[in-house]
Amino acid sequence: MKATKTLLGVAIGALLMGSVSAMAETVKVGIIGPFSGPFALQGKNFQAGVEAYMALNGKSVEGNDIEVIYRDLPTANPAQARALAQELVVKDKVQYLGGVYFTPDAMAITPLLKQANTPLVIFNAATSAIMNTSPLVARTSFTTAQTTTPLGQVAFDDGVKMAITVVSDYGPGIDAENAFKKAFEAAGGEVVETIRMPMNTTDFSPIMQRVKDSGAGGLFAFLPSGPPTLGFVKAYNETGLKQGNIKFFAPGDLTQESDLPALGEAAEGLRTSFHYSVSHDSPENTKFVEAAGKAIGNPEQLSFPAVGAYDGMHLIYKMIEAADGKQDAQKAIDAVKGLSWTSPRGPVTIDPETRHITQNIYLREVAKGPDGKYYNKKIKTFPNQKDPGLATQ
Amino acid sequence: MQFVAQTERMTAAPVAGRRRWSRDAVGVILIVAAGVAGYFLFPDSLALLTRIIAVALLVLSLDLIVGYCGVASLGQATLFGAGAYAAGIACVNGVTEPLTLIAIGAVAGAAAGLVMGAIMLRAHGLAQLVLSIAIVQLAHEAANKASAYTGGSDGLAGLFVGPLFGVFEFDLWGQTAYLFGLSLLVAVFIILKFVVSSPFGMLCRGIKEDPIRIRAMGAFVFPVLLKMFVISGAVAGTGGALAAISTQVVGLDSVSFELSANALVMLVLGGLGTLYGALIGTVIFMGFEHVVSAINPFHWMTMVGALLIAVVLAAPGGLSDLLDQISAGKKRNSGGRP
Amino acid sequence: MQTILSIATDAFAYGMALFIICIGLSLTMGLMRVVNLAHGAFAMIAGYIASYAARDLGMGYGVAIFLAIIGTIIISIPLERLLYRRIYGSPELTQVLMTIGITFCVIGITNYFFGPTLKTIPLPEALAEPVDLGFRTIAAHRLFVMACGVAVAFGLWYLIERTTFGTKVRATVDNAAMTDALGVRTQVIYAVSFAIAVGLAAFGGVVAAEFLPIEPYYALRYMVIFLVVVSVGGAGSILGAIAACLVLGAVDTSGRYLMPEFGNFFFYAAVIVIVFMFPRGFFGRAQ
Repeated sequence: MKATKTLLGVAIGALLMGSVSAMAETVKVGIIGPFSGPFALQGKNFQAGVEAYMALNGKSVEGNDIEVIYRDLPTANPAQARALAQELVVKDKVQYLGGVYFTPDAMAITPLLKQANTPLVIFNAATSAIMNTSPLVARTSFTTAQTTTPLGQVAFDDGVKMAITVVSDYGPGIDAENAFKKAFEAAGGEVVETIRMPMNTTDFSPIMQRVKDSGAGGLFAFLPSGPPTLGFVKAYNETGLKQGNIKFFAPGDLTQESDLPALGEAAEGLRTSFHYSVSHDSPENTKFVEAAGKAIGNPEQLSFPAVGAYDGMHLIYKMIEAADGKQDAQKAIDAVKGLSWTSPRGPVTIDPETRHITQNIYLREVAKGPDGKYYNKKIKTFPNQKDPGLATQ
Repeated sequence: MQFVAQTERMTAAPVAGRRRWSRDAVGVILIVAAGVAGYFLFPDSLALLTRIIAVALLVLSLDLIVGYCGVASLGQATLFGAGAYAAGIACVNGVTEPLTLIAIGAVAGAAAGLVMGAIMLRAHGLAQLVLSIAIVQLAHEAANKASAYTGGSDGLAGLFVGPLFGVFEFDLWGQTAYLFGLSLLVAVFIILKFVVSSPFGMLCRGIKEDPIRIRAMGAFVFPVLLKMFVISGAVAGTGGALAAISTQVVGLDSVSFELSANALVMLVLGGLGTLYGALIGTVIFMGFEHVVSAINPFHWMTMVGALLIAVVLAAPGGLSDLLDQISAGKKRNSGGRP
Repeated sequence: MQTILSIATDAFAYGMALFIICIGLSLTMGLMRVVNLAHGAFAMIAGYIASYAARDLGMGYGVAIFLAIIGTIIISIPLERLLYRRIYGSPELTQVLMTIGITFCVIGITNYFFGPTLKTIPLPEALAEPVDLGFRTIAAHRLFVMACGVAVAFGLWYLIERTTFGTKVRATVDNAAMTDALGVRTQVIYAVSFAIAVGLAAFGGVVAAEFLPIEPYYALRYMVIFLVVVSVGGAGSILGAIAACLVLGAVDTSGRYLMPEFGNFFFYAAVIVIVFMFPRGFFGRAQ
């Protein structure tokens, strides 16, 4: 009884405070991400990216103070995503929504945007189709097709004529499989077999055995970043595929920097393609890595969601500037269409048609640095890649 | 809220005849009052409250088989997901009338309940629990595989639900969804109160206490329990359909082991076999989770864990049991081996 | 033939890894009648300790395993005294609530102190090398896991069937009140059994870390598989647990080799079939 009263008091207090701060010309930004649970590391990177941007560019835009509210959505859960977004808009009165790690969550939020008069800047969720569901969405991450497509030509040029694909059996995995197959066949190669493995696979030896038996010269793999990648890479080495000269290609989710200390030697020499490497050599990135490393606490945990969040905040700042602190979603989103700038990852543009980010894709190789730590070493750049997934639709 | 719960639990105490009916009437009135109070006290969090109602329906359905039949299940989300996907797929294919969608969800849930019950009732105890896990995992995998119909891991999006009675829109503010959900919940609750106090409901309780004696009395156990499974499926399916309508997206999480396990945790937290316990457990668990995860989005899980441990230590029979004991002025019996 | 042998080797290694972790849970559930969903949490704590000892302090693999087991048992003692002792004999669902609560707390605390990244336990040179078996190469640590599994099975069988302590445990399980009356301190028996179960979880968590990598969500991620293995084997039965691990390991591994797309279907369909055929698990005790 007492607890209930206190709770109620807190809630009412929060409501009152909300209305007070709204009068003080504060622009609120709601960030939804996986801050706890199995993907907590990615959420932490969201936060690091946001804080790094605010540390480097100030906490206000033209006199409008910016306040960020974080909400936790540990795993893909559209019902909760919608509830959180609704509450952020209606109760916390945020003018901008950002974050979102998983595709179904984004799909649940986009139908609300028009009524809420709020733009959504996606920091990660990587399925092409999200962009078609609302004109008020922009995205600063990547799509699986975007990061995968250049690998088709790379594999073929590397002398692989027959390849096998191994992907996790879910949306992005299937996107990756299709994108690689299309690009590889366009280059002149042949995909001899496609394997889709269940998400909860922990022992990859049997799958590697099958890769070996298929007679393919190249292996294309897609796994979401996280614990299973370790087992996958180890199985690739231990079953003798590495020594057997079966070449390995994957999008960079597999060798994200925060997993490299654990993957270590096992990953050395793996080639992946991605839109961002923490080791990218540019003054913008040096500044970003320093600030974000400080925000996250342990710089070894820094990974790609941080740069998505950093650039996402850049868009939100530009939107606030264009709307002059007022709530005007259309004006805000129009202001960033066609916007170009130099991000820590390299030169980028928001495509005015699709509102998805056009960026360089880099081919990298895991190498040991002079400090004994492993990093993704850039070996080739594919400039200004649009999202092929959207282009074909 | 707790005061409400306390009074509700008193009404659930086994009291003979007419007094029980009048107490149940008071209980229902209190639920309605709590629901309406929620509407006015938290007008900005209606989407969350609607989600709580959808999950409350799932937990109620679980109470029917765990609390009244003694069948432990860690796969109840199968039935919830069946309702959600059936309503979602119907909606994408042009059925947009909300009440029809709820009916579709309930029927799909009942059908899933029939299948699931037929499988699960073959086993007992731990084996039964494992069967329920296997079923929900298979259903999850099937929903992932059938991505042409279910959208797979990207979720089934693009549900455009028509206005309720042709007037009330399901919009951003969620008033329609909440009041619709609340009415559904109250209606389902009243029906279930009748079901569990009917001779059929009593028979189920009897089976839970001593199946051999019931069999010796000449009753068939399997069809009785199967019937309860079907009812439970219909309730869970209703919850799933409500979630689909109010969210306008159906995700794979609606047929997951995690949701099933959470539902069981909420039920045990609230207390088994009273129906009120299911509601209390859901509201307390989800409300607490929401509050602590808003305060600290990074480390709230520890707090939820501590809540569960505290409840077991303070009230091994669940919160409703604790309230019951306080109201009855009984001494708490401490934990430990009996 | 080569393929079959190769799958069999993988299946055996995976099955043994599962066995080492799950046997402790099987004992708690079968002998002590506690549905300890926090079992994986103890395996995870051990993994963190071993990782810290081996990676950050540079200790040897053997020392790290030893420290992990001792450390995890020490952590578990207050938990047993304060929390578990209250749920011995409680209804299963109450135990589920309590142990899920403990799991949540452990996950939250580990996440807070060690961060959400993967932790690895560096293997000694000898275990890290691939070994040529004639028909294929296999990582040496897989052979090590197999050996550990066999050793654990024998050790435990001897302890329970051939020692005085084992007799007391079995007596306590069958009738705690009577055993108490005969002068056996059942409280101590429970505490020691619990410590053994936790120690096994810890050992399994460390040696199987190559299969099930250590991260904060470990405790929940593998909870289902542990529960399934124990139930299929029959709670409390060593032989049953071995059989379950080998059969499920074989189904899982061959399913993933032959039809990876339907790997999960295979696995859970097999579980349903086994439960139908052996409602008490392979070697479960009659209730």
